[in-house]
Amino acid sequence: MTTRIVFKIAGMECPNCAMTLESLEDKLPGVQRAEASYHKAQMVVEFDEDRVSEAQIRAAIQKLGYEAQ
Amino acid sequence: MVSILLAFITGLTTGGLSCLAVQGGLLASSLAGQIEQSVQNLPAGPAGKKKHRPAQSAPRPALALPILVFLAAKIVAYTLLGALLGFAGQMFQLSPLTRAALQIGIGIFMLGTALRMLNVHPIFRYFAIEPPAFIRRRLRKTASGADGSNLLTPAFLGLLTVLIPCGVTQAMLAAALSTASPLSGAAMMAAFTLGTSPVFFAVAYFTTRLGARLEKHFMRFVAVVILILAIFTVDTGVALAGSPVSLTRALSGIFAVPAAQTALDQAPAQTASGEDIITINVLNTAYSPDVIHAKAGVPLKLRLVTNDVRSCSRAFVIPALDVQRLLDATGEAVVDIPPQEKGAQIPFSCSMGMYGGIIIFDL
Repeated sequence: MTTRIVFKIAGMECPNCAMTLESLEDKLPGVQRAEASYHKAQMVVEFDEDRVSEAQIRAAIQKLGYEAQ
Repeated sequence: MVSILLAFITGLTTGGLSCLAVQGGLLASSLAGQIEQSVQNLPAGPAGKKKHRPAQSAPRPALALPILVFLAAKIVAYTLLGALLGFAGQMFQLSPLTRAALQIGIGIFMLGTALRMLNVHPIFRYFAIEPPAFIRRRLRKTASGADGSNLLTPAFLGLLTVLIPCGVTQAMLAAALSTASPLSGAAMMAAFTLGTSPVFFAVAYFTTRLGARLEKHFMRFVAVVILILAIFTVDTGVALAGSPVSLTRALSGIFAVPAAQTALDQAPAQTASGEDIITINVLNTAYSPDVIHAKAGVPLKLRLVTNDVRSCSRAFVIPALDVQRLLDATGEAVVDIPPQEKGAQIPFSCSMGMYGGIIIFDL
């Protein structure tokens, strides 16, 4: 089942950070779409709850050097 | 020639720093494929944010070529853009006031960029150009899909830097537009981008872990430099708009050279028809005299004398009278000024607003 969560992201310093965060789409199986915005300091993630959990996504964001609030 | 040299120096100094702040991420992305092939078991870190870490781990010779390809592509892209803007400038002659508005707009953008980099308020994030999601996705796929031998990725990403010009680059693009010549516009942008290249190369090639730690301080320094540049950019725009008060003018008053001051006392000569005539020597970095006292109520002829002048002072403008004149490098030109009321003040400047002066009708 597809779930959609909007994460507030702390630690984005430039538009390139959005691209970095969106790499979750490739790196984390189960993430179907990740769209980050430096302007809004947020990321919209659509994922398959059966394959990946919200906690795992938060951990992956942290591993990339950002904080999901 | 002087403006091309100035463009190169601008690139080498401030341009390199500010562009690195904006485009550094793309350069890092272009190196990602190379690094991933060079270093096994590399943590899957972000291309942009942690750019120093992989650069340190990768064998350096393997990085030189993609960096050079990225920079070469960037130079090609901006040279073409410069030619295009020069051509556009040729097609649409911008009025001094339009140019002033453009300059002030660019200055405000730079100001916002500096305040964003200093994290003054989240609202300033909107001063950063964020590529649309589909372009970001395309960039990411291209960067991550590239293997080390593929130099197309850095070339492609180098070309894409035209989509994210930094503040100083945008000022230079406006200057290329005002050259009104495809050749001059291309030469100016090529010189500027070439000037930015050593900083890009040095940071990508030589950065260390210490550099990563100092990145924040370095970016603050860049922000302050951009902030100062922004103030001067807005100021030149204000001068170009014909304001008698400007920071540059105030500073040139403080540091006025004696030759210019003695020239202030020059009395206007009269022509046979009774018109006043005043000679202004157009120099590479000033107009002499720059404060002119003229008689009110009679026509005035400004005799502009150039002698091997190669700077933007050749592009003489009087915004209030909508006068624009591109002077020969060596020669003379006369600008007619209709009779003015007593007390009127008419500023003049170069088309960039960098050098200027004022005519005061108080005699």
